[in-house]
Amino acid sequence: MGEGYFQQRNGLYVLDVMGACGLMTGEQFRGLAAAVAELGVPAVKLTTRQTVVLLVPEEKAVALKAAVESLGLRVAPYHNVVRPVMACPGSADLCPRALGDALALGQALQERYTGQEVPKDFKISVAGCPRGCTEPYCADFGVVAAGGETYNVAIGGFGGSSRPRHGELIARRVPRDAVFAILDHVLERYRALAQPREKLGRAVERLGLEAFLPPAQLLRPAEEPDPVLLELKAFLGAPE
Amino acid sequence: MTPIRKAVDVNLGALAEALEKKICASCDYLDTAECHPERCMVGFARKVLAFVLPKGVLDVPGASQLIPAEDFKVYAAEDVAAALAETLRQCRECRDNHSPDCVIALTRACLEHALTGQRIDYPGSVFLYLARLREQDPRLAELVARELRHGTPSEG
Repeated sequence: MGEGYFQQRNGLYVLDVMGACGLMTGEQFRGLAAAVAELGVPAVKLTTRQTVVLLVPEEKAVALKAAVESLGLRVAPYHNVVRPVMACPGSADLCPRALGDALALGQALQERYTGQEVPKDFKISVAGCPRGCTEPYCADFGVVAAGGETYNVAIGGFGGSSRPRHGELIARRVPRDAVFAILDHVLERYRALAQPREKLGRAVERLGLEAFLPPAQLLRPAEEPDPVLLELKAFLGAPE
Repeated sequence: MTPIRKAVDVNLGALAEALEKKICASCDYLDTAECHPERCMVGFARKVLAFVLPKGVLDVPGASQLIPAEDFKVYAAEDVAAALAETLRQCRECRDNHSPDCVIALTRACLEHALTGQRIDYPGSVFLYLARLREQDPRLAELVARELRHGTPSEG
């Protein structure tokens, strides 16, 4: 597994630093700022995948990596692996539009899957509502909260290409646990069926979506509807 | 600061009032034992509005599945058009982010169903909706457009 550590045209190196789906504490930001000042980092750049890229002279890269890791952050894995997970701030505390806890789910997915080896880079995006600020249909594995801790899942999307592709919806309103089980299945099928360096979406085009679909029981919608919907039903006097 | 759309940002009271004054007031079943809001398109929409108003939410995921299917009353197009126009006044024109579980959309769907027995796929825009409505029901489209032009707009 490679790490996000590359030489740039000007000879400097970049270190790609990942937090918890883009979330960092003030202490981590202050620590990064101190390391940036101390090690002569000339520029810091935010990435599309909610990571932070630090430019650094090669001889200081090891010290910078140590500083990053001492803050509870890590250098993002790179190459043909599951990449850092993108998640919106959807949660009970943050985005008012959120229909589910996208941020916590994204963090849990990142914790469990990031760095796992796959035929080609594999990107996961989690969105807290259908607006999809994290572009879940442009990810290899996209998750969209659907209310009441249920989620829709799409697979096979990607954006970074001259021939981008939208993901295809494979599961509607499945419970949180099923998201992990579906991802386990999709990754297992992807490793088994894809050609080397073949994106999941291209493998889906070549072999058909069915080859990657999990068993029907994993795709079964959650029986528990949204609690607000339950409340509305009670209010209406409708049978549940 | 860009406000996030909430129930207080739209005049749901105006919607409820349009339903009550334009449709319920001329209903033969009003205040009789035959008035069953849970089985009536308009009664259902009014109850949903009453539910969301104190909660401050606009979307109830899955609520569009609860629209009653057994309302066979005959509605006057003129009465429904006025309420339909009010849903368009309140519409935030969410375009691609339109949600069928938004209470404004839910009210509109109830009214469409009450009048035509069908639902019109809402394109997330008032202008496009009127164009679509004109294709399906030119007379209703004209009534709604007239209400929008000359009806009493709600105070927002």
